Amino acid sequence: MAAMNLSSSTHTASSSTFRLLSASRTYTSPKSHLCFHSTHIKNRSFFSFPSSISHKPNHTTKNRRSHLSLVVSALGKLSDTESVPVPPESDAVSAVFPPASGVYAVYDKNGDMQFVGLSRNIQSSILYHQKSVPELCASIKVGVVDNPDRSALTQAWKSWMEEHIEAAGKVPPGNETGNTTWVRQAPKKKADLRITPGRNVQLTVPLEELIDRMVKENKVVAFIKGSRTAPQCGFSQRVVGILESEGVDYESVDVLDEEHNGGLRETLKKYSNWPTFPQVFVNGELVGGCDILSSMHETGELSGLFKK
Amino acid sequence: MGSRGTNLLLSRASRIKSKLQSVLEAKFLEVEDVSYQHAGHAAVKDNANETHFNVKVVSGKFDGQNLVKRHRMVYDALADELESGLHALSIVAKTPKEAGLN
Repeated sequence: MAAMNLSSSTHTASSSTFRLLSASRTYTSPKSHLCFHSTHIKNRSFFSFPSSISHKPNHTTKNRRSHLSLVVSALGKLSDTESVPVPPESDAVSAVFPPASGVYAVYDKNGDMQFVGLSRNIQSSILYHQKSVPELCASIKVGVVDNPDRSALTQAWKSWMEEHIEAAGKVPPGNETGNTTWVRQAPKKKADLRITPGRNVQLTVPLEELIDRMVKENKVVAFIKGSRTAPQCGFSQRVVGILESEGVDYESVDVLDEEHNGGLRETLKKYSNWPTFPQVFVNGELVGGCDILSSMHETGELSGLFKK
Repeated sequence: MGSRGTNLLLSRASRIKSKLQSVLEAKFLEVEDVSYQHAGHAAVKDNANETHFNVKVVSGKFDGQNLVKRHRMVYDALADELESGLHALSIVAKTPKEAGLN
């Protein structure tokens, strides 16, 4: 399923590199990878590509099989798996490594193993590592795990780890306890904005004016129920999710926070002439609530708006 | 049920329906009570009946109006309901052309 999530833009971006690199190295494009999986499940030892998406004529079929196993081989022994150099550009990384579930072993430029990881999307994990620790990601071995339930993945990871420890006599440095080099950090969440410092503070300016300032001084402001880290309402949660996935820098205000934002709900409803929450403002203008945001997110209008 | 006074006569869903129908001259209108999905929700107080609705409406009056304006037209038509416990609406507002009705 992971392969299905791949956006079409990534696919287009990677298909050009696919052709370019396929002269020297082989791997599947995300699209063909999907097909690979379906045929692969039926017959573990052989697979073929539909000719419509094959970029190369048939004479390479023999080679392709062995080369392909570099990248999308079903899980085998670590020592039998060939390592694949990590291309410097992320487009090329996407073309080489499949968005599939499985295990992967990362080697530095001296060929020393740094880390064994397991992932539901190997491609995305590798992209992340390449971005955060490029100096440690020279080449990577990949073992795809079909039907990846939790125990199958863990089992696969264990088998590679055990094989490595037996051969090298030590745990890869990245897998040592306390090493966080390879751990994906959750994006840092900002604090919610507050209208006042506390309940007993007398406002010197009308609440309406504070709202007005808040939405005009910040590019994107979401008035939500609950905090951004723990929205109290499904619609607010969806809005936070959309803003996070757009990757836009936004401020949030908890309209349920009576301590700091007392009276905000009623005043905001009048200010925006909008009776429900969440409410999202961009450049001082009300964009709408959850429905409008969702639909603009789907059509791509939203990202256009954020660029303005 | 008996304590809900005026609601005895008509459910909120049917009031929403008739209000939207008359104000927006809807070509298509669907009102679905989804309050049950939000029972126990932080902001819904004791009276958790008829608080959340899905509304799908197609109206020629939406022509040339952006989404914010269309939603406001729906909200304006239902101002009384919003004052009296209607908590959230999920709105799909289309012009007849967008909905392929023309």
